[in-house]
Amino acid sequence: MFNNKFKLSLSKKKSKVEREDEGKEQNVNMIPQGKNSFIQAIKDAVNNTADLIVKSIPPNLTLIYIENLVDDRTLNDHIINDLYKKPNESPELIKSLLSVPSLKMSNLLDDAVSSMVTGTVLIHVEGYSEVVLANIAARESRGLSAPENESQVIGSQVGFNESLATNVSLIRRYIVSPDLCNEKIKVGKRTNTTVSLMFIKGIASEDMVNTLRQRITGIDIDALIDSAVLAEMIDDNSLSIFPQLLLTERPDRFCDSLLNGKLGVLVDGSSMAIICPQSFIEFFQSREDQNLRWQIATFLRLLRFSAVFLSIFFTPLYVAALTFHYEVIPQAFLVPLSESRALVPFPPIFEALLLEIIIELLREAGARLPTKIGQTIGIVGGIVIGTAAVQAGITSNVLIIIIALSALASFTTPSYMMGNVIRVIRFPIIILAGFWGFYGIMLAFCFMLIHLLRQSSLGTPYMSPFYPPRLKDWRDSIIRLPIPFTAKRPTSTRAEDHEKFNPEPVNPEKS
Amino acid sequence: MKKLSPKDMINAFLLFFVIHSTQVGVGIHGFQRIVYQDAKHDAWISVLLIGVVSHIIVIFMIKTLEMYDSNDLYGIHQDVFGKWVGNLLNIIYILYCSTAFFSVLRNYIEVIHAWIFPNLSTWFLSASLLLVVIYAFTGGLRLMVGISFFSIILSVWLIPMLIFPFKFSISSSIFPILETNIIPILKGAYSMTFTIIGFELLNIIYPFIKDKENVKKHVHLGLLATTVLYLSIMLVSLTYFSGGELAKTIWATLTLFSIVRFPFIERFEFIAICYWMLIILPNLCLYMWAAYRGFSRLVNISAKKFIWIFSVIIFIFSIAVQTRTQINMINNQFAKVAFYIVFVYPIFLYVVAALKKKFTSQKEQKE
Repeated sequence: MFNNKFKLSLSKKKSKVEREDEGKEQNVNMIPQGKNSFIQAIKDAVNNTADLIVKSIPPNLTLIYIENLVDDRTLNDHIINDLYKKPNESPELIKSLLSVPSLKMSNLLDDAVSSMVTGTVLIHVEGYSEVVLANIAARESRGLSAPENESQVIGSQVGFNESLATNVSLIRRYIVSPDLCNEKIKVGKRTNTTVSLMFIKGIASEDMVNTLRQRITGIDIDALIDSAVLAEMIDDNSLSIFPQLLLTERPDRFCDSLLNGKLGVLVDGSSMAIICPQSFIEFFQSREDQNLRWQIATFLRLLRFSAVFLSIFFTPLYVAALTFHYEVIPQAFLVPLSESRALVPFPPIFEALLLEIIIELLREAGARLPTKIGQTIGIVGGIVIGTAAVQAGITSNVLIIIIALSALASFTTPSYMMGNVIRVIRFPIIILAGFWGFYGIMLAFCFMLIHLLRQSSLGTPYMSPFYPPRLKDWRDSIIRLPIPFTAKRPTSTRAEDHEKFNPEPVNPEKS
Repeated sequence: MKKLSPKDMINAFLLFFVIHSTQVGVGIHGFQRIVYQDAKHDAWISVLLIGVVSHIIVIFMIKTLEMYDSNDLYGIHQDVFGKWVGNLLNIIYILYCSTAFFSVLRNYIEVIHAWIFPNLSTWFLSASLLLVVIYAFTGGLRLMVGISFFSIILSVWLIPMLIFPFKFSISSSIFPILETNIIPILKGAYSMTFTIIGFELLNIIYPFIKDKENVKKHVHLGLLATTVLYLSIMLVSLTYFSGGELAKTIWATLTLFSIVRFPFIERFEFIAICYWMLIILPNLCLYMWAAYRGFSRLVNISAKKFIWIFSVIIFIFSIAVQTRTQINMINNQFAKVAFYIVFVYPIFLYVVAALKKKFTSQKEQKE
């Protein structure tokens, strides 16, 4: 099934190419029969690049490849050795002779050159206008390591790396099924990056697959270096501050999503995979929640969600209360608060913005610095600047606590992309709170609510399952009920197969 | 008329939220005093009474709407009364919706002036609220219904705050029951009009409901929720305030909030009043939308154009109306008109529509 899909998409591509060629037939270059003219043609095609290796095997064979793109050992053992043993053959015979898995014939120069730059050895026999293309691309990739940005305590500790082939194999190891479809699409006029669209046939909605495929193929861009760029380009609303597609580096999360009827996109060279459609609430869920007992998972989810509110609204509330609404602070609390603010010469809004920016500076510096220095700077910066700022009378103690708390709370969001949003969204709210008190905060809250309601992810409502209300999906939203209660796939994915499993016979021993 | 695409349709289940959220708005801030003036300590009976009446009116409304399966009130007007009279009635209804919008907006601004920011300019408050509403309106009906939904879900926590005044209440102050005459009680019910209206928007939203067979259930549930809410607030107010005090308290509900205190928060009404923005938002959005639906029938106008013209007009009016007396006058006059439009007119319309249907079917039979 997977192969069929693959071929299908390829043949579509080819037919497109052919149609284009019919228009400008004279431009098609055939491979020259003569040895020297062949070498020259290839050299011209790759602009005489320095890493082009031309190797002649007497009497009539020529090998051309690009250094470092091909696997040297395979080249020596399986190609050069074999060819020395049996020279003087026709291309067809060479093709049947070589023990390399991926072999092709071609008589088109463009075809030969484009496969050469992906790691293919061209074998040319003098007198023939066909070359053998032996793909022995070297796969340079770092080893698998634990995901750095989405670490979890319990659960698998493997993350995606930069090689598409490795990532696909990781996913295929989790989902051993012929229904796991993998469609390859080339994106980027100059980089020709391979993009893999993955979904499970029979679960994922066909309409959604078509929509996503259309969005990806419709992209007109010259270079695609990372999946984050792709995610931004296929977003429903790329002007919004909220990400609508999830970027993850966890294969287990990726597979979980596929099994829920979502679609995944992998980009060659990027260690982040895209998952869509994604609802707002799912950004605050972690894969780990499935691995913990449901009570604990529910507690953690509630904690995380209240942390988001805390981190967005705590500082603004402080600013609003101290600027306009002294009345809401209880008297017992008002005395220590005004004592700590007695030395501060600034209005609360200025004080809060100053400290927030210091925290953001520390955080950004921590992210850019080398790991070894980063930690030290974090501690030194936090303690030194924090203590000194209070002693110098620039800020109050209470505000330091509040800002540290909200910074801490913003780290609990499992998705780094969403964490960034929470980090930034505070600033306009602080400013509104400083100008118009609680009224300003409420304005921001209403705007945010409307904004979230307006968004969609791959055509599905962003606030799902809360709005439109799908009560059954609330079981796995800010709470997580035991697994037997969550036997249905989320409605928002419009899965073709609604049931994950039959929830009845969970524990055969009991019955 | 354009066919409605399934994307615009909403579930009948959401009508509960729509009805409830459009009913609860600014009236709830101070309805106790107005009802108390007439019905004295039997004011809660007036509340109950008007609640029952609203259920009856809704029955007529739904019956009328069922006759015209997928047509709203504006379409029914045109069909029943012909083009000219129908359009005249439509204009009245559009004006009614616009006034309702204006009244909610202006009353909320007044509350903010009175309780939180006495000196914050009206134009800023009005403009900022209008901007929020415009942003919501351009998202379409589904989004506005979503705001109704969230406005209720996210404000449920305000209701338990009634426990704080409840602790200080003396139940004996509502006894003896029925000390007031029937006429003052009816008058009290009548003065509830401004507080309880909102459900008439069902007339406009009805064609957008997906499963029309469930409409009745959810609309009545929504009305019931409102009645229960008003009744409980009224009971708490009657028992918490002494009679003379209640007659002088303009915003009794907010005064109730002001005694809520937590270890970390006092003067809770500051938060409640600002939070009220979320509660009046569905009111504003849906009244504006209802006005747009009618207006787009009269004049071919895009939603964007309409909303800017509408907002500018409302904005100018909201600056023009300055004093508390003016606002009160508008409220009273509006309530008078609203009583006829919401509580009397649906029965009349039902009778006329039913008669017309009967005649036309007889005619068809004869032919």
